[in-house]
Amino acid sequence: MNNLADSRNGTASSGDDIAVRFDAVTKRFGDATALREVSLSVRSGEFMTLLGPSGCGKTTLLNLAAGFFSPDGGEIRIDGARVNDVPTYRREIGMMFQNYALFPHMSVAENIAYGLKVRHIAKKERDRRVEEVLALVRLAGMAGRKPRQLSGGQQQRVALARALVISPKVLLLDEPFSALDKNLRASMQVELREIQRKLKVTTIFVTHDQGEALSLSDRVAVMSDGRIRQLGTPEEIYRRPCDRFVASFVGDANVLRGRLDGFDGAHSTVAVGTARVKVPEAPLRGVALSTPVDLFVRPEQLKIAEICAPSAFGGRVAAQVYQGGHVDLYIECAQSASDRLLVRSAGQDAMTRWPVGAEVGMIIGIDDAVAFPVP
Amino acid sequence: MNAQPFLRPFTAPAVLCTVGLVAAMAAVLQFSLRAYVPGSLEPGGFTLANFSDLLKPLYAKVFLDTVWICFLTAICTLFVGYPLAFALVRTQNAILKSILLVIVVTPLFLGEVVRTYSWIIVLGNNGFINSVLMNLGIVRQPIQFMFTTFGVVVALVHVTMPVMVVMLAAGLSHIDRDYQKAAESLGAGPVRTFLTITLPLSMPGVVAGVTTAFAWTFSAFATPQLIGGGKVNMISNLVYQLGFASFNFPFAASLCVAGLALTIVVLTVLRLAARPLDDLKAH
Repeated sequence: MNNLADSRNGTASSGDDIAVRFDAVTKRFGDATALREVSLSVRSGEFMTLLGPSGCGKTTLLNLAAGFFSPDGGEIRIDGARVNDVPTYRREIGMMFQNYALFPHMSVAENIAYGLKVRHIAKKERDRRVEEVLALVRLAGMAGRKPRQLSGGQQQRVALARALVISPKVLLLDEPFSALDKNLRASMQVELREIQRKLKVTTIFVTHDQGEALSLSDRVAVMSDGRIRQLGTPEEIYRRPCDRFVASFVGDANVLRGRLDGFDGAHSTVAVGTARVKVPEAPLRGVALSTPVDLFVRPEQLKIAEICAPSAFGGRVAAQVYQGGHVDLYIECAQSASDRLLVRSAGQDAMTRWPVGAEVGMIIGIDDAVAFPVP
Repeated sequence: MNAQPFLRPFTAPAVLCTVGLVAAMAAVLQFSLRAYVPGSLEPGGFTLANFSDLLKPLYAKVFLDTVWICFLTAICTLFVGYPLAFALVRTQNAILKSILLVIVVTPLFLGEVVRTYSWIIVLGNNGFINSVLMNLGIVRQPIQFMFTTFGVVVALVHVTMPVMVVMLAAGLSHIDRDYQKAAESLGAGPVRTFLTITLPLSMPGVVAGVTTAFAWTFSAFATPQLIGGGKVNMISNLVYQLGFASFNFPFAASLCVAGLALTIVVLTVLRLAARPLDDLKAH
């Protein structure tokens, strides 16, 4: 597979190069604005995920990169060249569709060779590269099959092979895993990531599945209403959501009612009942003391302690759900903004230690939660 | 069956129609095997002579002409209808779509005779085309369109086009647009995308359209009768002449039976030839 990786290195070398740049891109469909001045730079070799609910504009952004329609404002650059007016077939992209869109009248090999044939690559070289990429996606020996004779996972690999064999400048993936069942999806994700790393191909991946986004990406752009709400590594997005939307869209979150109690250098202190929780200061900058705030905390960051522990706030175990690897505890708590808090306890002893009805205390570590003013 | 209590009463009209059709077919079949008694409307005894008469060059030629005209019409209709169907399915412009639809569908409402008369006006020696050509000085003598195979085929193409366009449009609209996008993303321009993706994937629609157009034309009567004017004969014209000019019902019946058999044979051959395309239909 060195060949595919080498041909990529020819066009882009160091990791700091920008492979795809969106500059204040706006797109309207009739009266509806799908994208509002979106700017985003995807580094060469990076796995960038566009994450958001349906209608947030993520697919529109991908289609603009592909050239299926052109922006109403702003500029799109691929490898430094402006492509606003370059038709799809001259953009040197590879795209994988939600339904794979394998040509039903062609065999696996013919599907994969299509892009090479278009590029007038000689038959011998074509056959060699098809074989090579089939081995890469672990489908050696399937060359003669028709797409309908393949399973969903195999079809997906063919679609990936077809997109990769032309050594595209950027690989565009439109919710490729949505048609697969859960187990297959997990293994395909791992495989995609391995192949992407091996070939160092710049990748833009569109999904509404936050788990998928967190596990695959180098960076994630969380989108809603045609805007990018936050751009960062999966850890930044998960641990330091910049606003309420990102905090509630990405991962599970408990919401606690509290009051801003004070500032302390890089932290703000939020009072939740009698407890004091230290949170990152940035989202609360400029907010007056005693302002009501919502505290977002992940289920696994909420630690159960004895009721009398210092800086703990109290609650009562309402239900236990054994999940195999961990235990989910549902806790009734006066400070909760929703009805119950979810606490994810990794210890197997949680079932016996915190039975239903037990009064417990909960503590939140420094920077283990984020707070936003109540809107 | 028991789960549908209304099925039985609702089947009754269908059964009645079927009985009528089968009885009529049986009558035609029966007539085709009877001898012709000149000067009498009553047929004579049973005989196979009618069918052996079909092999006479005079009649065999009409069969061959019919197949040839049907073939020409189906192919020409395909070439005229494909761009129309393609534009109809692919255009985003609602007004253009409506205009196309009107162009395609209105011939259906005019009836064969009216449409054929309009073609006589266009194709006649003093008709539209010849007047224009002569006034422009391109030709001195009017070109003979009437009473020629060419004229008949032109009119038949117009008659058959709505069916063809509807079949092709159905086929084209079932092609997922993502195939085209995939081809473009792989570097294929619009022409190559059409030739390697859209066209092959539309073949089931093409086969359905050609087959239907062929069968549709096979039964054409008014158009060859009026534009052919006795010089271009198709099977139905021959049946008409024998049945209603010579009152030779047995021979007319045998022509019908043979024509039906020929249609079935031709359609079966087309169907078998198109079998490799069955893969595409699921998509």
